[in-house]
Amino acid sequence: MSKLIRHNHSADGIDRRGFLECMAWAGTGVIWTVSGGILSSTTVSGKTIAPGGLHFVQISDSHIGFNKPANPDVNGTLQAAVDQINSLPVEPEFLIHTGDLTHMARANEFDTMDQILQGLKQKQIFTVPGEHDTASDDGKLYRERYGKNTKGDGWYSFDHKGIHFVGLVNVVKLEGLGKLGAAQLAWLADDLKARTSSTPIVLFAHIPLWTVSADWGWGTSDAEQALALLRRFSSVTVLNGHIHQVMQKIEGNVAFHTAMSTAFPQPKPGSAPAPGPMKVPDDRLRKLLGISEVHSVSTRSPLAVIDSPLVKE
Amino acid sequence: MLTTLIMLLFAQTGTLDGKAVFEKRCTGCHALDAQRVGPKLRGVYGRKAGAIAGFPYSDELKTSGRIWDAATLDKWLADPETLIPGNDMAFRMQSAGERAAVIEFLKLSEQH
Repeated sequence: MSKLIRHNHSADGIDRRGFLECMAWAGTGVIWTVSGGILSSTTVSGKTIAPGGLHFVQISDSHIGFNKPANPDVNGTLQAAVDQINSLPVEPEFLIHTGDLTHMARANEFDTMDQILQGLKQKQIFTVPGEHDTASDDGKLYRERYGKNTKGDGWYSFDHKGIHFVGLVNVVKLEGLGKLGAAQLAWLADDLKARTSSTPIVLFAHIPLWTVSADWGWGTSDAEQALALLRRFSSVTVLNGHIHQVMQKIEGNVAFHTAMSTAFPQPKPGSAPAPGPMKVPDDRLRKLLGISEVHSVSTRSPLAVIDSPLVKE
Repeated sequence: MLTTLIMLLFAQTGTLDGKAVFEKRCTGCHALDAQRVGPKLRGVYGRKAGAIAGFPYSDELKTSGRIWDAATLDKWLADPETLIPGNDMAFRMQSAGERAAVIEFLKLSEQH
């Protein structure tokens, strides 16, 4: 399969044609590359990942503690994701979890999360919180567990193989949509100041940093201020969770990607009266959950993302 | 009218700003006028639990028979599972001050 999508940036920033194409491909195992403003995709297997390049895995929305009909065994599906990661032909260099590790931010839920992740061959994990990790206590317990060496509500940055990674928190100061807040934006400006424009940037946060659906609260009110700071960089990849489904968008130098959940799917925007856990037939569930592999294509293009469901169609 | 105005001012300028608490704690799942993960909340005060047509409430909530007043909302927000076991709301509000502020905000939401 090979497709080209030419982009037109409508006023709301959503490439509708690209959006629809991406939705159609969700979960089929797709590699995305960008060259000269044209997005192309081909189906791949993990074996195509070139040795020596960057390679990490994103997982999201594990909701440990959730026990409703949409998935009464979220521990089991997270374990399946761990098994899938452990069986990748190329071991990832680290994992990123883009939030909602737990459903209620209870200590026993964080304990269960830790126990399951202990089964990973690769122990290096970077996280950002989701609103389920912070709503009840402003993220105090989350930061006790995962916030070492972070700033503010839990934001931080690090460098790996010449790529600058930034973990942002947009779930503590909610206003209908996600929000980063002035303090975090000031920190981000300072953090990026010393980076050259040729440094590839990976931004990760829970709620999408592009407006997937304002009606459903799937966006971040002050994301534009963060993205303005990134315009001078030639390669920016934004990884999010929260919406429990794969969506992708390319806008200029920025590639946006949202990951599947390891717990339960949510409806596509507009396809249901409201967002929320979506009950699907038991034999469909693991086809709608999964992991995302991320790897570098070149230093001048956003990273490539391969989404793989726990069970393939 | 004057009483309403005073109550609104109290909700917004008292020890805690009910609107700010609502936005910070509740809008991850709720809006006043739109269905999200949780049901729309304008006018919830005084309403029967599980009464918004078309929203996929849990059976436990729908059959609870609860009326949302200050006392039931306070217990609900403190620990929904204790008030109505088996319901779908994954949240608890630990601060009594925040609960009081947001309940007042919801009570007045019909008039905003």
